[in-house]
Amino acid sequence: MRSLIKFIFFFFIITNSVLAADSSGPKDKVAYELYKELRCLVCQNQSLLESNAPLALDLKKVVMDKIELGQSKSEIKTFLVDRYGEFILLKPKYSIQNFLLWLGPIFFLLIGFFITFAFLKKQSVYKEEPLPLTDEEENSLKKILDNNVS
Amino acid sequence: MKNKLKYFYSYVPLIIFSILVLFFARQLILKEDPSELPSALLDEKFPSITLSRLADYELFSNKNLMDTDNPSLVNIWSSWCVPCKVEHEFLMRMREEHNIIIYGINYKDNKEDALKVLDLNDNPFYAIGVDQDGMQSINLGVYGVPETFIIDRSGNIRYRHVGPILEYDMEKIILPIIIKIKQEKL
Repeated sequence: MRSLIKFIFFFFIITNSVLAADSSGPKDKVAYELYKELRCLVCQNQSLLESNAPLALDLKKVVMDKIELGQSKSEIKTFLVDRYGEFILLKPKYSIQNFLLWLGPIFFLLIGFFITFAFLKKQSVYKEEPLPLTDEEENSLKKILDNNVS
Repeated sequence: MKNKLKYFYSYVPLIIFSILVLFFARQLILKEDPSELPSALLDEKFPSITLSRLADYELFSNKNLMDTDNPSLVNIWSSWCVPCKVEHEFLMRMREEHNIIIYGINYKDNKEDALKVLDLNDNPFYAIGVDQDGMQSINLGVYGVPETFIIDRSGNIRYRHVGPILEYDMEKIILPIIIKIKQEKL
């Protein structure tokens, strides 16, 4: 019974993704890459490859036509960025305006390291070996212990 | 000195918090829709497009937008687009009350349906061009209907409006820009 349920469960997980992968994409390698890197502007977090929105289909046609005309990948991207802005690129450019976007995470990671380091260092101060007792202390301790025993 | 530094450190969380508040308040107060894209063509020449004629209606081309005495609007619409129907009333008002020249681009539409809309609801357009396969609109960077461009007297795009033009958009955004363009010296 258990294995049957498992089987059904995984069967649907697998078939789901197979059915959803209708977006097998074009045979042309450049077209496939471009479809993946360009944003569908209607459903804004999908790539052209995944989208079947009418505008996405039109944009795919534009890309295909331009590839057939012999245009390069960057030429096609420039054409679309000129019209739709940088937003159409799913991966932002490495530009000065975007430096915070790209380097921000690294910056915050470094801050995190710094804070962790400072914290651990502070903690280690208290972990130092305690000083040995002085003779005087040793004697008074002995006294207390002896008293307790008797 | 060390004490002063410690004093400063205790304020760091407050400072960071204030910066975050300002950062988020900006989005809240400006009420910008992040899904709405700024036009990449702002302050640039209206791209060259080729449109076809819709029945007996006057056709327009890039020539009409260039070097005119008046600023004009270019409105992308379709009979199947519901927000366009909402917007229609305000396009009519702009034509009739404010004498604004509006050019219409009929986007991926069925000819008969488009004609029916113009017959039934009046025609706000000075001239109309048909973009049957949507390729001309891609040249304009259009990503949904309706969209409206304001073109100044030398044929440059001055503003792009995404979505229907409603009362507020007409009074507070479109008309002031038109007035501003009219006041500019050529």
